[in-house]
Amino acid sequence: MSSPAPASPLFWRFNPEVYRLIGVRCKDCGHITYPRRKICPICGSLNLEEHKLSRRGTVQTYAINWVLPPGLEPPVPVVIVDLEGGGKYQGIITEVTNPEDVKIGDKVEMVLRKVVTDRGLNIYGYKFRLVEEG
Amino acid sequence: MRGKVAIIGVGMIPFGEHFQKSLEDMAAEAYITCLESVDKGIAPKEIKAAWFGQWSGGTIGQGAQAGSSLASIIGNMEIPITRVENGCPTGADTFRNACLGVASGVYDVVLALGVEKMRDKPGSESLIAAGGGTGAIMGQHPSWMMGHGGPSLQAFYATRQMYELGFTMEDFAKVAVKNHHNGTFCPYAHYRFEVTVERVLNSPLVCWPLHLLDCCPQTDGAAAAIVCRADLAKKYTDKPIYVLGSNVGHDHANYWDKHNFIEMLATVRAARGAFEMAAVKPEDLDFAEVHDCFTNTELMNIEDIGICRKGEAAKLLNEGEFDTKGRIPVNPSGGLKAHGHPIAATGIGQICEVVWQLREEADKRQVKIKSGIGLQHNVGGPGFGVSGVNILSRSL
Repeated sequence: MSSPAPASPLFWRFNPEVYRLIGVRCKDCGHITYPRRKICPICGSLNLEEHKLSRRGTVQTYAINWVLPPGLEPPVPVVIVDLEGGGKYQGIITEVTNPEDVKIGDKVEMVLRKVVTDRGLNIYGYKFRLVEEG
Repeated sequence: MRGKVAIIGVGMIPFGEHFQKSLEDMAAEAYITCLESVDKGIAPKEIKAAWFGQWSGGTIGQGAQAGSSLASIIGNMEIPITRVENGCPTGADTFRNACLGVASGVYDVVLALGVEKMRDKPGSESLIAAGGGTGAIMGQHPSWMMGHGGPSLQAFYATRQMYELGFTMEDFAKVAVKNHHNGTFCPYAHYRFEVTVERVLNSPLVCWPLHLLDCCPQTDGAAAAIVCRADLAKKYTDKPIYVLGSNVGHDHANYWDKHNFIEMLATVRAARGAFEMAAVKPEDLDFAEVHDCFTNTELMNIEDIGICRKGEAAKLLNEGEFDTKGRIPVNPSGGLKAHGHPIAATGIGQICEVVWQLREEADKRQVKIKSGIGLQHNVGGPGFGVSGVNILSRSL
């Protein structure tokens, strides 16, 4: 199989991880990590199985960044999310009117958005959106 | 390590903005100052190996640095030199490797030198460069650095310290107030002005909950130390300072593998190993120089090193325990916050301060020396997952 765009190894390498959210679960210690690994980062075990991450979770911690790399307009809430069923995901909150609405414990869900452009190819990935409760 | 290695000389240049000086100029000045500090004298040819701390070479556009860079700077092609890069603890680990060179029995006298040119880049660009850029980093995670720079990675911890431990932005600001005050007495400090809690809280937000004055500056600097076999130290100086323990510890490079955001296991592991090696306890310390790259980080470090229990640091700070005249002074040099953070020079600069304090040569910022033991600490690198700790003593 040939690469759709040899100039974008990023696209090729991210495909299973990014779009299908495939990580791994350690059968020895239970740790879930993402992207996929061959060795458990917690216990060093090689005894891993594929684990599909949930797209929903709660905010473990966050910060509101005002000094951003080019291409992003401040303020941007950045988060670590505890996913339902295990594992953590690091990303940003999108489509929030007031960044100060973000709080620890908030329910969030992933939405597919463009995250970066690599040599002319749009690279998509997940951002988080606050979930309305009730 | 304990009992095998002694520091016989230290030297640094004042940290700050040195636009007129090259990386090579700064390194040479620190080296000369260090040589001259050896009170009974040392010939440069007595140095038989060197470790060269350099973090930014090749990553923010200064060209790759290697052993030949330092060999050229000090005019010595006859010794082996190794470059060390290990995140923000680069200085601590450069020093550690030099000590291992002596402790191994291979070399009698060696040099550790760290130098960093940070300020040629504007502060915002440097923070972003250190953070990793706009978005995806190849092979890691699709959004792991998206929207991040150095401060936001530490702000994740600050938010959780406030939520879980009850720390406040005022507590964080008080770290800046203390360290800026200490910095006014240190001729080597980058920032030598006082700040107030109000001024910190009214400074622009860099990444909530951290303000501009919660962050250490972008600083140029260089620092050096010469270490030798402990049994040879008195040949070079009447005031050797001995290395009791030296360690590096790790935690996950990726935030999503971490177990919580109120402690840094890299520091816990580095400190635990260094204390074991030194056969001393945190309560034996007279003072500590710790890695306050951000104000909240200092409080976390104090707890993670074991100086107090988790969640107690803010209370003890407010009671004045960490002041220069307090029970256990923290960052009498002004810390990274006021003294500056030229990465590879930072750790060795802290070693200089610990040596001067233990020799009671620190003038107006002198802390009370009782046990004669001081500690130096850094934490940083990917995921703040690297920490270096060195424990020094004026007696064996």
